[in-house]
Amino acid sequence: MKALFADSVERPQVLLKKKLLLLNWPFLLLITAIALIGVGALYSVAKGSLDPWASRHVARYCLGLGLLFVIALSDIRWWLRMAYPLYLVALLLLAAVMFIGVESGGARRWLGYQEYSFQPTELMKIALVLAVARYYQWLPPRQVSWPWAVLPPLAIIAVPVFLALEQPDLGTAALFGIIGFGLLFLAGVSWLYFLGGVVGVIAALPHVWEHLHDYQRERVLTFIDPERDPSGSGYHILQSKIAIGSGGFAGKGFMQGTQAQLNFLPEKHTDFIFTMFSEEMGFIGACVLLTLYLLALLFIAYMALRCRSTFPRLVAAGMGLCLFAYVFINVAMVTGLVPVVGVPLPLVSYGGTSMLTMMAGFGFVLNAHINRQVLIRREELGPFW
Amino acid sequence: MKPPEYGVRIRRQRARRAALLRLLRNAVRKTGEQPDYGVRLRHRFSRRAVLIGGAQAGLFGLLLWRLRQLQIVESSDYRLLSDENRITTQLVAPVRGTIYDRAGRVVAEDRENFRVIVIPAFCKDLGATLDAIGRIVPVSAADKDRVMRAARRQSGYFPVLVVEGLTWRQFALLGVLAPQLAGVRPDRATYRRYHHASSMAHVVGYVGMADKAEVDEDPMMRVPGFRTGKAGIEKGLDRELRGQAGTIDYEVDAHGRVVRELASTPSVRGKDLVLTVDQELQTIALKRLEGLRVASIVVIDVLTGGIIVMASYPTFDPNDISFKIDARKWSELARAKDHPLENRALRGQYPPGSTFKVVTALAGLENEVITPFERMNCPGSYQFGRRSFRCWKAHGGGVDVHRAIKESCDVYFYETVKRVGIDRLAVTSRALGLGQIYDLGLAGQKQGIVPDTAWKRKRFGQPWYPGETISCGIGQGYVSTTPLQLAVMAARIATGRAVVPRLIVPADRALEPFAPLAIDPANLDLVRAGMYGVVNEPGGTAVRSALPLPDVKMAGKTGTSQVISAKNQHKLKGWEGETHALFIAYAPFDAPRYAAACVVEHGGGGSRAAAPVVRDIMTEIILRDPAARPSVAAVTQAGTASASVPEQPQ
Repeated sequence: MKALFADSVERPQVLLKKKLLLLNWPFLLLITAIALIGVGALYSVAKGSLDPWASRHVARYCLGLGLLFVIALSDIRWWLRMAYPLYLVALLLLAAVMFIGVESGGARRWLGYQEYSFQPTELMKIALVLAVARYYQWLPPRQVSWPWAVLPPLAIIAVPVFLALEQPDLGTAALFGIIGFGLLFLAGVSWLYFLGGVVGVIAALPHVWEHLHDYQRERVLTFIDPERDPSGSGYHILQSKIAIGSGGFAGKGFMQGTQAQLNFLPEKHTDFIFTMFSEEMGFIGACVLLTLYLLALLFIAYMALRCRSTFPRLVAAGMGLCLFAYVFINVAMVTGLVPVVGVPLPLVSYGGTSMLTMMAGFGFVLNAHINRQVLIRREELGPFW
Repeated sequence: MKPPEYGVRIRRQRARRAALLRLLRNAVRKTGEQPDYGVRLRHRFSRRAVLIGGAQAGLFGLLLWRLRQLQIVESSDYRLLSDENRITTQLVAPVRGTIYDRAGRVVAEDRENFRVIVIPAFCKDLGATLDAIGRIVPVSAADKDRVMRAARRQSGYFPVLVVEGLTWRQFALLGVLAPQLAGVRPDRATYRRYHHASSMAHVVGYVGMADKAEVDEDPMMRVPGFRTGKAGIEKGLDRELRGQAGTIDYEVDAHGRVVRELASTPSVRGKDLVLTVDQELQTIALKRLEGLRVASIVVIDVLTGGIIVMASYPTFDPNDISFKIDARKWSELARAKDHPLENRALRGQYPPGSTFKVVTALAGLENEVITPFERMNCPGSYQFGRRSFRCWKAHGGGVDVHRAIKESCDVYFYETVKRVGIDRLAVTSRALGLGQIYDLGLAGQKQGIVPDTAWKRKRFGQPWYPGETISCGIGQGYVSTTPLQLAVMAARIATGRAVVPRLIVPADRALEPFAPLAIDPANLDLVRAGMYGVVNEPGGTAVRSALPLPDVKMAGKTGTSQVISAKNQHKLKGWEGETHALFIAYAPFDAPRYAAACVVEHGGGGSRAAAPVVRDIMTEIILRDPAARPSVAAVTQAGTASASVPEQPQ
């Protein structure tokens, strides 16, 4: 097998001790703070008990921290080499879900047995970022906006989006889209493509609408306006709005949220944990939490901007986009701004896969940060794939 | 100047600052000198990162705006919704007042009742929930149907009664299971228990579930198992007995399970009542009436007007129909042959027959159309125009007012009433208490008829014909009275005062003596002497019914009233064709204390059927002399006042 990297090029290795020094410790502190808010919220959801959620949330965070360090301290070139294979594996798993996935609630999303199951979409979020970044690391800067050079990343993004829509998992599909197109934009693809894309979609919409079946239209309408189906998600959103609204400015107090404690809220330990948090902590608490997320995003942006090479820069930016999309979609969903899609709140919602994904993502951000001075030359990469 | 370590720190700081400045410059600056494509792309990245960052900040701003809208602007609306979510207010039925008899014996009281209620809105599947309850307590199909209908008809948040009268075991079992059954609530309430039920039934009445009109009037009626009076005192004085409902605010979770109690206003216990009726004598009276088919008797304390006995036979057991209503039993009762639900002492209207002669006599004497010394001849019939009115026997000559009453001579009174005229007769009748409804606290009293020309014109639109007056003189024709009115009449004659009957012992025991009647006492004495003769003098119609007591004498008047005119008598056969037997009396003669009236429906002659009943009951009453003992009113009222602490619901 031919070596991926040209041997002749000198590749300076950064020592582990130096890497630890270069690590962005304040950022670690920040995400720990967010995770601790999650622990508090889960403690409150369980009516003042560490079981069953808070304690396991802590354990998962620690596990995720380990994963974060492993990824952050590993060699960035190794990840560069693994980007495409990882993407292929994720794609295969995503395709496998369609055939051997576990069905629950009308959607096939999971692989494996109950306790050892995971969602391939989570892996795909990381793999997608790595693959797109890898592509632009390889692509000569001059060719970024050449038409033929735009097509491969479009394919890289489009395939997982369609697979996610097949499951169906609209939230994840939207997430893939946001991350993918955000990366294309940041990579420097010309404005005109995006302008053309937006105009094209708007122009195509009425045409597509006419060709939809009635039941499909109904489904789309229900998705846009949950009030059409008051017994289903409309009820959840109403209860969620009641909970947030009744929290008021200062909140009902820790463990005093009636909506959550009396089970009027659905999924209050996972997707709707922000609802519970802002019911108990009020507008102030919600602002604090959102500010922490915004700070984390600023940190990530700062780290991305400082990278000399395209790959780490885009990886960090992609993870930032991912975090933003998660937070925004989740909060907008529970406040009734966007329809209900199953998107957890990163680091706060209870859930192993999303926690590990987020921590791995942060690992890549820190990895990029550590390797901010590394200049990866095109010659190091070898052939396209 | 500075230690080297500071230098390192400052250098780092400068490097960081320089990096940041460069980044910002990159973001703003268009390419001045011509760098290579890589550097241009990096600059483009910086610019676009700032753009995306700005967009993200904007979207976060949108989230904050939304949170502000929900949590600050519309917060109060949502707080209200949240409270509506979690708080359900439940009405607590008050404890109904206890009813005592004059001796302080409990006649009707609320007892503890274990029951199950459901709140349909909180049940996932009402049918399945009822089935689950049915595994512990039998739920009849009719009950199930009733609950389902109630759940459809009213708000789903209003609790509906499923079954009541559970055993303690069933109640405890349900209490354990209730947390698993959403919307099911085991509940302690009260039910109405009647003591000496069948003897007091007609006086006390019974309670039942509120009907639709009552529910519309007061939402308290919708409290499951809430009962209102349906007959007797329970109905007549329902508002006093009822009390006031309390409320409890419960915090419930999304499945309707009660989490805790937030606040409550206690219910107010209904007022207790003390009846003037003596339960023991009432039971004796009913036992005495039992041999007869349909009969009723009223005994009044003439000094206070208190009704000591008001018995009507046949009777029923209110416990059968006030609690756990059995539809079959109810319809059986309602359709029974002799209508046991009917209180004949108040609602039975009978022609008073010869008992009315005392009224005619008084009317004649008062209006001076007859004198105490006038003697008439009774040939056995009386000719008026072309009609002949019969007397029950030919009394011969020399019938004065005393003898006329004593021997019940019809002819004497035919002549008297012809002289008095119907309108003057009606005045005396009303003065003696006939044709009136008394404020006893009992609903459904009948008024009877005291006929006069005005009444007839109003009723039939016809003038009064003089021929109609004749039969009225002996209590036939249009005249009709209830046993209660007859007893009041006897009491008024006995005392010469306008006795008003009462059934409830008033709280303040100072009783004003009744006002004297506008009747000459001498005339009253004449009538009383006649009535004395009826029972105690040879030739009297009820001499066989003298009291078997050495020094107590009873005065009375028999009556035998025709159900149908003699001409048509053959049309009604058997029991229904028989005459009603009546008897009014008071005793002791020299110091009247008790007045009685008894009607035996289709019992034959008054002296044979009704007088012995009154004799027996009067004997018992005189022996026990309930009026001589103070009523328990003051004691029990004080006792219950302190005992009426608000009921704490469970």
